[in-house]
Amino acid sequence: MESKPNRILNVPEVKRMKKVALIGIPNTGKTQIFNNLTGEYNIVANYPGTTVEMRRSVTTINNKHYEIIDTPGLHCLYIHSEEEIAVRDMILAEAPDIIVQCIDASQYKQSLLLTAELLELETPMVIVLNSMDEATRKGVWIDSEALEGMLGVAVVESIASRGLGKEEIKDAIGHARKGALDLKYGAAIEQSIIELASELPFDLEFKYKIASLLLLTDPFVEKFLEKKYGAPRAALIHLETNKIRRQLKGNIRQVFIDRRSRWVDHIASLVIRKQKMTYQGFSYHFTRASRDPFWGIPIFLVFMAVVYLSVVYISGALDKFLDLLLVFPVTGLISSFPLPPFWKDLLIGDYGILTLGLFNAIGTVLPILSVFFFIFGCFEDSGYITNFTVFSKRVFAKIGIPGNAVTSLVLGFGCKTMATLSARSLTVPKEKFIAVFLIAFAIPCSAQLGISMAILAKVGISAFLIVFAMLGFCEMGAGMFLNKIIKTKEASSFIQVIPPMRFPSMKAVFRKTYHRVTDFLQEALPIFLLSAAGLFVFEKTGLLNLIKQMLTPLIVGWMGLPRDIVDVFLLAFARREAAAGLILKMVNAGALNYIQSIVAVVVTTISFPCVANVTAIAREMGLKTAIAMTAMIFISSFILAGALNWALVFMIGR
Amino acid sequence: MAIERNEEQDEHIEQLWYMKEQKETSIDFLKKAMKRSFDAKIIEELSLRGLLEWDPKTATIKLTPEGEDRARQLIRAHRLAERLVADVLGGGDLESIACEFEHTVSLELVNGICTLLGHPKECPHGMPIPEGECCLQAIKSASSFIIPLADLKLGESARIAYINCKSDQQIHKLDGLCIRPGVFVKLHQNYPTYVIECEGASIALDADVVKNISVWKNFEEAGETLHHKAADKKEGFGRLKGFLGHFFKS
Repeated sequence: MESKPNRILNVPEVKRMKKVALIGIPNTGKTQIFNNLTGEYNIVANYPGTTVEMRRSVTTINNKHYEIIDTPGLHCLYIHSEEEIAVRDMILAEAPDIIVQCIDASQYKQSLLLTAELLELETPMVIVLNSMDEATRKGVWIDSEALEGMLGVAVVESIASRGLGKEEIKDAIGHARKGALDLKYGAAIEQSIIELASELPFDLEFKYKIASLLLLTDPFVEKFLEKKYGAPRAALIHLETNKIRRQLKGNIRQVFIDRRSRWVDHIASLVIRKQKMTYQGFSYHFTRASRDPFWGIPIFLVFMAVVYLSVVYISGALDKFLDLLLVFPVTGLISSFPLPPFWKDLLIGDYGILTLGLFNAIGTVLPILSVFFFIFGCFEDSGYITNFTVFSKRVFAKIGIPGNAVTSLVLGFGCKTMATLSARSLTVPKEKFIAVFLIAFAIPCSAQLGISMAILAKVGISAFLIVFAMLGFCEMGAGMFLNKIIKTKEASSFIQVIPPMRFPSMKAVFRKTYHRVTDFLQEALPIFLLSAAGLFVFEKTGLLNLIKQMLTPLIVGWMGLPRDIVDVFLLAFARREAAAGLILKMVNAGALNYIQSIVAVVVTTISFPCVANVTAIAREMGLKTAIAMTAMIFISSFILAGALNWALVFMIGR
Repeated sequence: MAIERNEEQDEHIEQLWYMKEQKETSIDFLKKAMKRSFDAKIIEELSLRGLLEWDPKTATIKLTPEGEDRARQLIRAHRLAERLVADVLGGGDLESIACEFEHTVSLELVNGICTLLGHPKECPHGMPIPEGECCLQAIKSASSFIIPLADLKLGESARIAYINCKSDQQIHKLDGLCIRPGVFVKLHQNYPTYVIECEGASIALDADVVKNISVWKNFEEAGETLHHKAADKKEGFGRLKGFLGHFFKS
């Protein structure tokens, strides 16, 4: 292994941990490999763009420590979207010692284009042919040894989802070496690249690659140089680039693409064989049916019904089980204990830490969430989500939401924060704004959706339909409104790879559910307890009553809800699930009637984007926009809930 | 040697067109670009024929509208010839073939080739091909062998001929997905979104991307992607009917 002095710290290589970057086009299993290598767990799923942020961890190979970096998908080093910039800037700025490229073996050609570019970085590399099982099914056979010979870097076969190939990848990282790339762009272009590279700052890594990106007029690489070397230097480089580019005839972009494609074809023709005939089984036909304008509808409805029934029945049963096992015995025990009434109230009163905090979290919310997370995990891993995007795109397009944003919106049903971050891939500002707003607006996240389903199931299926019609209506209305008032002609075009659908591995889904549930408990349980304690203090000091009195006209008069719903709103500030859990309890106790339950669910679904979501909005759009959006959503939720109340009263009476 | 003189004149006119594309008007630039073949006599002759105008004071030179018409024809023939050689004849010495071609073919023949190739907008080097009458009429004549991807039947495969993309980013993105001239694609779905299969991946595309892609019609001989084509002909209801029919028979 060649040693490379660390230029920043000026310490010898030995002292520094080697950086290993996992790079690859979207949905090739980078995060799964990251998990396998580091023993950590990060959410993996079968759709492009699961990973939106870089993650770092350390692993040990042959008693040496390596820093492993997991990255979002990258198509090529010539950049299309913001999340890709982050990956490329990381490569350019940090100059990882080893690059591990993940390739979906069943879609090798798309990845090989990136391979060519990564080899141009002249960094030691390892190539992982992942999803070998999928490739076999598609009748693709890759001679990995021959590929290794042609590229000069280790090529490792892997089925990461089953944990196969992990040791081989580790071994290859330990022995990673630089490759050899037999790809020429013609004397004139290469001369220009060398000429321009010689003009670049001497301490810049990857001079040749950066020079060629400059010649291809990649605007982001100029920004990168500006950040690193300041505007005057960047301006000089810009001038130099223009001078050299002018000497080149024709369109060099075309030449680059053409030569690279030919190189890929050449490599593929030598090392890859494809069967002429393959049997496309059930999953192939099912995938196509699920995005078919006709068959897509029944499939979607059946899936929704499965979610609804299992949330209602399975989590209902779990709920009862936990009540018998935990809630009743503990409540009984405490109430029979000789304690002063204040302490009893603090523990198991209406605003008790146990009643409203612990039991609410574990007894009510947890069973619903576990079931919902499990089912949502199955959907994610099956690849249905992207197919649903294609199927539902036309509906969204009607209200001005472009296809690219639909994926983010659909992901909002999982976690609004992640969905907001994934909206980073939208390049047109207007589309990004609409998507981020709509995600924060009337889309219930998985936790909320599950609990709302459980609440509404208690009230009746018609309530469920009314609520979701209302939410859909709000979402569409908001989309159309924003589309009308924000005027730009720019529109991005929708280009989306659809992952193959497969039967999700139960082990993987259980693991994912377990992680989501424990994450929920870690994050939410303290907040549940604290907010219960806070409410308890409010109640004891009489502050709660004061707030209730002040809000009476709004809550009772306009929204037709009982005064006690203020407790729900206050909890919703802290954690929406806590609020929803309380609504469920109120419904069970008969404190809310049919219309009130509907209005309560609608208002809590819309009103408060959770703190994490607001933070994500602030990160993507700036703090001002985040505050403005939150205020807008907050106010409109009360207006809409009141309107819904009066409409329902008018139609079906009190 | 009258013809040769003509060819030399044409070379000058072409060079002036290139200069126009680069927004250059100085005589010095022309001299530099033409090197030895620059001929002051020809410039004079062309100016007499009203094809170009030049101003000795400012040392500028440019084509008259008439001269531009002539140049457009030449460039169009040249770049179409390059396309023809690159795409249909499978490559070769683009430049020399195109150079001979441009002086010899008739306007009708150029339009015919343009139609055959599906009215391409760029030459293999990525330079714009000036539009001809045939492009302006934009007739989707039956004789065209290149059709829009959107016109394929569901389940049909075809080889991509051109991608006339509006933006560099888009063409890079498509290229990253291996959607580029020469590869086979199969149209799976055209509503609510287009879905094509390309190099083993299913890719959803908007109509405004698909309309930029043209494919060769009936390129059946390459059997690579045409496996189980028969099965794919039955779409949606057809497939269900077939299945039920089979079920009841047995």
